[in-house]
Parts: sequence; structure tokens; C-alpha cells
Amino acid sequence: MRPPRPFAVAATGLLAPLLLLAAPLLDPMPAPNRQPSPQRIRDLLSAATGSLPATGDPFGPGLRAPHDFYFTRAVYSGYGWRGWHVDYPKAERQFLIGLRRYTNLDAYAWENEVLLSDPELRRFPFLYAVEVGYMAMSEEEVAGLRRYLLAGGFLMVDDFWGTEEWLNFAREMDRVFPGRAIEPIPLDHPIFRSLYVVDEIIQVPNVGQGIRGGPTWERDGYIPTVYGIFDDERRLMVVANWNTDLGDAWEWWENPHYPLRYSTYAYEMGVNLIIYAMTH
Amino acid sequence: MPLPDWLLNSPLAAFGRGRIDLAWPWPLFAGAALALVVLVFALARRSPKRRRGAPLLAGLRAAALVLVLFALFRPQLVVSTVVPQENVVGVLFDDSASMRIADAGEDADGLPLRRADRMIGAFPEAPATEALGSVLRERFVLRKFRFGAEGAERLPEGAPVGAALGLSGARTDLAAALGSAVEELASLPVAGLVLLTDGADTGGARGTGDDRGDRGSRLEEVLLDLRERGIRVYPVPLGRSEVERDLELGRPDLPSRILLGSEIEVRIPVSQRGYDGRTVRLEALDEGRLAASRPVPLTRGSETRLVTLSVPAETPGIRRLRFRLVPESDEEMTRNNERTALVEVEDRALELLYFEGQPRWEMKFLRRAVRDDPGLRVACLLRTAGGKFYRVDVADAEELAGGFPETREELFRYSGVVLGSVEASFFRSDQLNMLRDLVSRRGGGLLTLGGRSAYAEGGYRDTPLAEILPFTLPPGDADGSGNGAPRAADPRASFRQLRVTPTRAGSSHPVVRLESDPEDDRARYSGLPLLSAVNRLAAAKPGAVTLLEGEPEVGGGAEPVLAFQRFGRGRVASLTVQDLWLWQMHADIPVEDQTHEVLWRRLLRFLAADAPRRVEASAAPRNALPGERVEITARVLDESYLAVNRATVEASVETESGATEILPLRWTGRRHGEYSAAFVPDSPGLHRISVRAGSESPGTESDALEASAFFEVGNVEDEFFGTGTDRGLLSRIASETGGRLFEIHEARALGADLSFSETGATVVERRDLWNMPALFLGLVALLSAEWSLRRFWGLR
Repeated sequence: MRPPRPFAVAATGLLAPLLLLAAPLLDPMPAPNRQPSPQRIRDLLSAATGSLPATGDPFGPGLRAPHDFYFTRAVYSGYGWRGWHVDYPKAERQFLIGLRRYTNLDAYAWENEVLLSDPELRRFPFLYAVEVGYMAMSEEEVAGLRRYLLAGGFLMVDDFWGTEEWLNFAREMDRVFPGRAIEPIPLDHPIFRSLYVVDEIIQVPNVGQGIRGGPTWERDGYIPTVYGIFDDERRLMVVANWNTDLGDAWEWWENPHYPLRYSTYAYEMGVNLIIYAMTH
Repeated sequence: MPLPDWLLNSPLAAFGRGRIDLAWPWPLFAGAALALVVLVFALARRSPKRRRGAPLLAGLRAAALVLVLFALFRPQLVVSTVVPQENVVGVLFDDSASMRIADAGEDADGLPLRRADRMIGAFPEAPATEALGSVLRERFVLRKFRFGAEGAERLPEGAPVGAALGLSGARTDLAAALGSAVEELASLPVAGLVLLTDGADTGGARGTGDDRGDRGSRLEEVLLDLRERGIRVYPVPLGRSEVERDLELGRPDLPSRILLGSEIEVRIPVSQRGYDGRTVRLEALDEGRLAASRPVPLTRGSETRLVTLSVPAETPGIRRLRFRLVPESDEEMTRNNERTALVEVEDRALELLYFEGQPRWEMKFLRRAVRDDPGLRVACLLRTAGGKFYRVDVADAEELAGGFPETREELFRYSGVVLGSVEASFFRSDQLNMLRDLVSRRGGGLLTLGGRSAYAEGGYRDTPLAEILPFTLPPGDADGSGNGAPRAADPRASFRQLRVTPTRAGSSHPVVRLESDPEDDRARYSGLPLLSAVNRLAAAKPGAVTLLEGEPEVGGGAEPVLAFQRFGRGRVASLTVQDLWLWQMHADIPVEDQTHEVLWRRLLRFLAADAPRRVEASAAPRNALPGERVEITARVLDESYLAVNRATVEASVETESGATEILPLRWTGRRHGEYSAAFVPDSPGLHRISVRAGSESPGTESDALEASAFFEVGNVEDEFFGTGTDRGLLSRIASETGGRLFEIHEARALGADLSFSETGATVVERRDLWNMPALFLGLVALLSAEWSLRRFWGLR
């Protein structure tokens, strides 16, 4: 058999990002929602790599959730090319490998993404959202998220940096819970203790900065902080990891150049938050 | 219609009491009469012509001759008559509260008369010819007594009856009344006792069926004693025996204590007369505030119906609950529509342990459900990874620090345990035994949840837990390999979704009933999301109660979802589904819906609420009378819930006025760990008991444990219940003692009957009967009849 020509490999490699970039143009959703739907991403990824399983486990979420836990990614409307799908789906697949190994949680091994406006969202009481600096939820999504959190859902927010993105996140959260404070969570809170003891909040840089070295911040987000939104009875509903990017650390932990310190912290925080969400 | 006394020369009663003597013996009279009859008939047959009606004419003639013969034998009535004013008649006045019931007819102005009014009116201060009191006073010396619950009490001589009666007796105890009156009159010549009562004998009614039997036998003894002494009892019933239109509440059945925030399940018998098919309203008032109500449809007939009412226990302390049937406009008696009961609402938290072998959403949502319930503290222990535990809601740093409890002391501090998805091999065998003993000996509750590592799939078959579960577990070789090795549930094989609905038992069970109407209840359940199960379970065990069942979505027979059974002193409940949290989180459930919370709270309370504490106190009877002995009992257990016989136990009894008395309690010797003392209350009102138990033996913990109880004095309201006059009972008292039942207007007849007495100071009178007008009239009648017949048939 003839080895593939270098040109063909390069062309395939180039095709995927091109398709991704073209996706907003193909998307029928109105502005400002110019981000791709989960199914479209799936299709594009399949087209690009030709090997992605459509639903993974035969007992995926579509088959009515017999697993105890599904790592669920929030799909929301936004603007710009960054959005809910950043690091998807590799970040969760890699994270789930560790989660299943370090705990005895019966977790579904594959990604699971759900629209905030989808009623099925409530079947998955743990939700992960990234790049909320570019979030622009529709009214339906706002209402869906509000009901979800009030009923007992838990939202983990990750990978947003600096003042501008913070302001966007705060504005969106204010639409969900008008007037409700976003408070820093002190290090003695149980989320830092539920399985691993986390004594320090670490700034996890994006993969490029992590591998190259150099500054770990992006934009003006110098100091990593964990924020929370509590309900009236002081139950934690939302945990926001600001100025840090846990998702990249999960996604690239197998890269020998990626510093272990970041991925360890990212794993510990991820596991802690899930254990916390499942007990509180 | 009785014969007028002048026809017989004596009152008819005298014939009942006395005997008839003849101048010559009775057999001689019989022989002579027979001979006479034979002679008359023989003469009639010898007549030359056989005529019609001859036997009848001969019979009439013979009867007339026998009458003459009877008069010739000089018959005399021998009767023992009391000597006027030398004999005593005891008059017993019913002084119970039910005598206030106004069903004794109407007065001159058309106003209703109370039973007591009729009774007092019969004993006027000024003599009146037909009044019972005056009639009796003509011949007898009267000794008046009033009676209620505590026997008869002599009334002061000469005092008007009306003034001497308080009409406040809380009970009527006829046996005690008769017994003590006889004692009092023992040395006097007693002609008889007149008993004025409504006959509603409620004596000793303390709610337990046992002492009804005692009461019956006590009455028998008293009646036997009266018969031996020859003292007759003349009951005079007052009031109407049958009420036509009435609603009546029976004694409410409810626990003596309940946890704050629970629902008190009260079962109340409702009986009715004359309201077939009508729907009435039953209300419960908690210190005057309407706490619960429900409609009660009345069935046909007057049989008693047991009605269940759920009353929320919202305020801590000893609460007086008032139950009432809203009176109908035309009801004859409304006082028996109300009952009160006391219940202690305890503001304490039940301690439970929830152990989960793997992170599951159930833990989050269970905690969420019970978070606002002050009556529940659920310590949660989660095995996050092999050998690693995460504790939530623990009381202190030590609690569960070493994982699942290893000692009985540690485990038995919980009144209940919830076991999630954790395989049996996690536990040592003594831990499994401890879990079983928690139920069977400690009296706690165990709830098992469905999951990949629960039941047979978790390897629980052939463990001590399999024995106590309400389900039979299928054989352990779930894979059919036959090697008996348990294996985790294979979701592909057994995952199923179930539509959960209550069973018949569930629709009426306080844990799972969501709506009072069974149909509404089923409808409410069918609107809830499907739940899933992965465990295979064989049938529910005999004796287990299935509360919820689930129908597989794909079809097939219903399977149990929630069942419980008692085991030893405690109870075990099993849920087969693994995701009850969907009833909180599913999109079909509104955010503010409380179904999930309510079910968890009720289920956990149900499991653990009856688990005994280390010290328990009680008082019996809970409704006492002043001067009645109240037994205060305490049970004392040590940390392992084993009985302690050497503890120092004392009770302090606080009366309503605030006076406190300290009583030492002693080990009874009847049961291990049981201590008691007697207390005799002298003031009415609520009495609070606080029992303290300290350990005497060295080396055990020194802090004393406390328990509380209560009883009430002087609020016995049974008088208004079963208020129809019990004529049957009164007639029996009369006939067994040789007396007779008289109505209150039959004063003369009663007086006459009393006059003929064999006891007391009596004289024997012989009254000639040959000159009785009745005898003469009879002779005239017989002869006239014969003569008329002869004329009618044209005979000579």
C-alpha cells in the first residue's frame, strides 16, 4: 500500500479549520447566534477526521440516561467565533478518562452537549460552560437556565478572561438572576475540599502559553479567582473559574510539553466540583 | 292495663311480693275443685236430651262453683310489709354532666327540660301528691346520695336536691355508686334503692377495651352482693333512650407524641343517626385555629365509620387538638360532636445516616429535600473513591470520620439508615449484622435504594440484610452462570423505565398519599416523570406492604417500587428505583413543586420516627381524675440500646399551677430497663412529666438523659358520648336484684312496690281475699254468662 502523500495530509488538516470557520455562514440561526449547533460540529468533525463516533456509548444520553453522571456541556447562543464549543469534545473526553479512574463515579465516557433551551437539560444536573465572555443567550435560554439552576442544577463556568469578558458574563447572569450577586468563593469553601484538597487557585494558561512558557494571563485577566452565585438559601448554583482555563489543561494533559502542575490543578478542581455538585 | 287496687283489696304489687294461703291445704282445695268439676260434667251428661252447647254451659257452671269453693277455703294474702317510717330507702341521684342534656321533655312553657330538672322536680321541697320524693317520704326514711365517677356520696340531710347537685361528674359509674351506697346503708333496715340516672354508664372508660371487661364484672359483683342482701334496686331512667338525629364523634386515636412538621394521622370513629347519605364536615382545631378539615360522607345505617384526618403538627409543645363534626341544623344533641385530645409536638431532629457507595444525584437531591426540615438531620457519607469518604452534614469532626460505623454505639446513634448503591462486600459481616440489629433490636429504620450495586446485583443475597428486606432477592448468579457470584447490574439487560403509581394500600398511606381522594392521587402520580430501575427483584415478601408500584414503559406486569415491612422492633423500606431525584429535576416538574421534598421527608420520618430513644417516658392513664393513681413509667437503655436496670431515674411532675414534685422511679422488675412510680394528682389540669435518667455504674457516660410525658386530670368527656339512656342495662340491674324499672311519673306504683319488702323492718300482714270485689264480680259474670246463653238458645 502506498503511503499517503504529504500534500493530502496537509490538505485534510487545513480543511477542518476552514470548515469550522465557514460554519457560521451555513448556520440557519439568526444573529447574534452565529455559533454552530452541536450536530453541525459533529458533522464537521466527522467530515474532517472521518472517525468520530456519533454517540459513543450505546447507552448515551439519547437512550434515557442509565449512567449516574453525564459530563454535560452547555450549548448557548453567542457572538464571535469563540463560543460554547471551544475545546469540544476533546476536553471532556480526556477529563472523563481521569474522572472515571480517580472516583468510582459511574460516568458516561463521552461528551454530552445540550441546548440551554432544551427541556432535557434538567436530566443532567451538572453543566459545563466555556467562553462565557461571548455569551448572548436568547430569552428561551435564559429562562431554561434559570429553571435549571433553581430546580437544583449546577453550572461550572470556565475559560473567560479579563474585564470585558467578565462584564459580559455578569450581564448574562444578571439576565438569569436579576440583582443576584456574583461573589468570590473563599479557599475554605467545601468545593476546595470535596475530594482533593486545593490550597491555591492556579492560573491555568491556554495550551499555547502553557507549552511555550511565558505569561499565563490573557487580556487583563491577571489574577485567577473562583466566583459563585448562591440561591436564597445559600446553595451554590454557579461556580465561575475566571482568568483561568481548566478545559485546556484537561484537553492537553497527554501532551508531554504541557506542565503537569496545570493539568493536576484542573483535574482536582473538576473532580471536586463534580463531587460537590453531586452532594450539595 | 293494671287492675284497680280496690278490686283486689290490695295493690297488685302485693300479689307479686306475697303469697296466698288457704284455710285448708292447697291439695285439698285442688281435689275438691276437681271433684266438683267432674260432678258438674257428669250431671250434664246424664241429662236425657243432648243439647247444643252443653259442655260450655257446664264449664261456666263449674267455674262459678270453683270460685265459690275458693272463697269458702278462706284465701288470705300473706305479705311482708314495711313498717312505715322505720325503713330506709336509698335514693341515688346521677350527678354526672350528661344529666344536663335537655332531652327530658318540655316544661310548662314549652322549654326543653334537662334530665336533671326532671329528677330534681321529682323531689320538691314542699310535698306534692304525685312527686316521687313525697310518695316515698310517706312511708320511708330517705337517704340521698349523689354519684358520678367515684361512687356515691351522701347528700346532707334536708338540703334541697337541686342545690346539692353539681352536675359535673365526668363519668357515670353505676357499679361504684351502688356498691358504695350499700356499704353506707349496711347497718340500716333498707327497703330498697331508687336509682335515678340516665343510665349512660361510662364508668372506668379509659379508652382501652380491657377495662370495659373489668367494669362489666365489677357490676356483676355488686349485683350479686345486692341480691344476697335482698336489697332491690328500682332504676328510674331519665332522658330519651333513642336520639333520632344525631352525629357523634368517637374517641380519636392518635399518637401521644409526634415530630414537629409531621402530619398527625388521627383516626376518629364517626357515627350518626338519621343522616343517611348526607355529607358532613370534620374539622380539627389546634388551640382554636383550624388546622385540618375534610368532608365525611355518611353511609346508610348507624354503624360507626372510621375516618382518617391528617393534622399538621406545626407548633411545638403540648397541643390541645379539638375535633368537631360541624353540627347539622336539626341535630338534637351537639355536645357529642366534639372531642379533644392532647398531643406532644416534639421539636427535635431525627438523626439518620445516608451511605452511598458511589457519587449519585440522589444524595444531592435528598439533602436538598430535607434541608428545610428541622425534624431531620441526615448525615451523609459518600465513598468517592476506593477507601475514600466524603462526609456532609456531620455534627462534629468525629462523626463518621472512619467511614461507615464500626461499632454498635456509633451506628445506633442513628434512628435510621439509608443505604444507597453500595455492594455487600464493602461491609464486614459484623457491620451487616449491626445493620440488621439496628432494625430488629434498636427499633430503627432502614431504607434501601435501587442502584447498580444494590440488592442482588450488589451481592446482598445470603447476607443478613436479605433476611430483613421486604423483597425476596433472586439468586445471586445474576448472569445465570450458576456459580453464585454476584455481579453488577448489566444495564443492557435490566434497565427499565417505570410509570410509578400508588397501590391501594399506598393511596391511603400517609407516606405516599399526595391527594386525599384515591383517584386524584393516581392522577397526580401518573403526571410524574418515569423513573428507572436496574435491579431485578423477586416478589414482595408475605407481610410486606407495597405502597408504590411501577408499570414498565415497554409493557409487562406492574412491579413493586416501594415496599416496607416491620422487622423486629423497627421497619425496613425498599425503593427499587434509582433516580427519585428526577421528580425534582425533570423538566415536567415545575421548579416550585414540592412532591419530591414531601415524599422524602415523609419517608425518612416514617422510617425513624418510632425508633425509641434511650430514655422514654409515659404516663397511664393519660386522662385521669383527681385522686386517681397515675403510673409514670420510664424505659432506660444504654448506648448500645441494651436495657439498664441500675440507673438512677427520677421524674418531676409539674402541675398546671406550676407546682413541681420530684419522684424517684424504681426498676419494676417486670421488664429490663423499666422503671416506674405512682403519682396521685389532686388538682385538675395538664401535668407535665420530665424524666431524668443518670447512670450509676462507673465508667459509663455521666450526662443524664431526659424524656418527657404528660397526662391530664379532670377532663374526661366521655359523659356526652353514647348518651342514649341505656334501658337495657337498667332493666337488668332491676331484674337481677328483684326490683323493677319505673318511669319517673309512676311514683305511686314504685312506692307500693317498695312497701312490700322482706328486708328491713317489716310486719307480716294477712289480708282476706274471700271478700275481694274481683271474686264477687267474677262469680256474677260467670253466672250471668250462663243464664244469657240459656236464654239465647231458648233453653229452660
